Amino acid sequence: MSHAKKWLQTMKISWVKNTAYRFNFFLQVIGPALIFFFVKYSLWKTIYKSSPEEMIQGYTFTAMITYHIWSFVVSMIGQGHSALDMAVDIRMGRISSYLIYPFNFWEFHTASFLSFQILQIIISIVTLGIFLATGILESLSFFHFFLGLSASIYVSLFWFVLQYLTGIIGFWLEETWIIRVSLQVITVFLSGAVFPLDLFPEVWRNILDYTPFPYLTYYPIKIFMGQEVPYLKFIYTLGAWLITVLTINTIVWRRGIRNYTAAGM
Amino acid sequence: MIKADKLTKKFTTYKKEPGLSGAIKSFYQRDAIHKYAVKDFDLDIKSGEIIGLLGPNGAGKTTLMKMFTGIIVPSSGEIVVAGHVPSKREKAFRKKIALVMGQKSQLWWDIPALDSFLLLQKYYEVPDSKFNKKINEMGEMLGVTELFDVHVRKLSLGERMKLELMASLLHEPEVLFLDEPTIGLDLIAQENIRNFIKEYHEENNLTVILTSHYMQDVQALCKDLVLIAGGEKAFDGPLKSFEKVLGHKKSVYFTFKDAISLDDQFFKEKDVQVLKGGREIELKIDESDLRDLSSHIIQNYPVIDFHTEKIPIEKVMKSIMKNPEILNQ
Repeated sequence: MSHAKKWLQTMKISWVKNTAYRFNFFLQVIGPALIFFFVKYSLWKTIYKSSPEEMIQGYTFTAMITYHIWSFVVSMIGQGHSALDMAVDIRMGRISSYLIYPFNFWEFHTASFLSFQILQIIISIVTLGIFLATGILESLSFFHFFLGLSASIYVSLFWFVLQYLTGIIGFWLEETWIIRVSLQVITVFLSGAVFPLDLFPEVWRNILDYTPFPYLTYYPIKIFMGQEVPYLKFIYTLGAWLITVLTINTIVWRRGIRNYTAAGM
Repeated sequence: MIKADKLTKKFTTYKKEPGLSGAIKSFYQRDAIHKYAVKDFDLDIKSGEIIGLLGPNGAGKTTLMKMFTGIIVPSSGEIVVAGHVPSKREKAFRKKIALVMGQKSQLWWDIPALDSFLLLQKYYEVPDSKFNKKINEMGEMLGVTELFDVHVRKLSLGERMKLELMASLLHEPEVLFLDEPTIGLDLIAQENIRNFIKEYHEENNLTVILTSHYMQDVQALCKDLVLIAGGEKAFDGPLKSFEKVLGHKKSVYFTFKDAISLDDQFFKEKDVQVLKGGREIELKIDESDLRDLSSHIIQNYPVIDFHTEKIPIEKVMKSIMKNPEILNQ
């Protein structure tokens, strides 16, 4: 019970921190996702300009925009979290306090992540409401919305442990931003965030199915759109990757903490 | 309470030449530099003691603090703090210690201190009644009760340090590590912090390890001190013995109305240094001679002021830093 209080209080503090600078938060979190959405909107509008009723691999213009609205929601909920500060904190010796508190470093970051997720879900729902009200999104099935939301939350767990890994690599590397940016770019292309994976050759799609990428964006979008998805495959493939990265994190942390010098203290 | 045996920490860094070519070269050829931050360090501190850990910059003080608190892992040797091996970082151990770093904030920057206190209350499982009593008591002692709701980033350094101290003591630790708690503070704030630590220690009898570059901190708080130089222990004993490292001599300063001549037979056999063109002298004398010699000078010369050296320990430190061999003499 007292342990649950530690988590709740950490989540509360994290919430206060996240909302302390509202404009900054908007610029950092919602801003890029919204801009990315409108860039994709313009891109597909240009592509479909000559014949709006044309089908590209089974997608009309409206279907393509619906795909990208859900892509926006998935990116907000599933891949919104970033361990931007963790590697810098490690390098600058700022994690020392967290090593002394009787609440583990990973617990602190996981509780902060959960708090961040609640905020992201609220923002996504509000944005979705705006898309619906303005007619950019034509209709919404609540059943598929809740299925998609659950899938996105599952994706966010994997994304969190992956981000955590890029953070704790800071025990060895002075700069980890290049790893994070590469990961972001690769994920955007291979997960179907720009082009639906239906547009990829079948051989590619088959290979990608063994990687975590299609499960990060493409499959959650399909779930939101109420299309047929291999649910079991989605759960166990992403689950296997989640356990793999978690195991790597545990090993990296154990070795990394022996390297930690608490510089600047 | 704290026991260290042959404690050693070796850091490995790599040489890197400047510029792009240096960065490329470092990919395939790296020359390692091994440096002992702490070497074969033994220590035995009993429960309830306040120990001053002194030494010049880079001597290894902070490395020792990091090992005592379990933040870094020793390369070899053993440490036991409050019955635990710090590097195992057991939760029971973390609940028994606290660390205050003068150069790093532990309070969350963007929220009021009270929010940080509430978080720490949960982490250390402090009951509400005890928590409220503690923050009220300490808040009054330090005069910061009205600052609890202010965002930490808006506080002055002195105010923040008082709240940092409070945060570290909420769970009533058995051992408190203070790493330069008064650094950068004005004289009044330094004194407030020192008085608080002294008073809190008298009431709670916790073990305190203090590092500081201000000798006033050490003199006001510590009966014993440990000097570390070049990663090795140079002195471990009572403050009084440390003051006597340079011998039982005392420096006495006399200021005269007019410059005096030192050709006088009286000064010929004395260890005397002329200052301010003869209007002031520094006389190094045995403590036992202080009374007789002072009264002789006052009666026979135009003395307008005199004083003995206020902070002998500072002089000892400076002398040791310049010439560590003094300790072996």
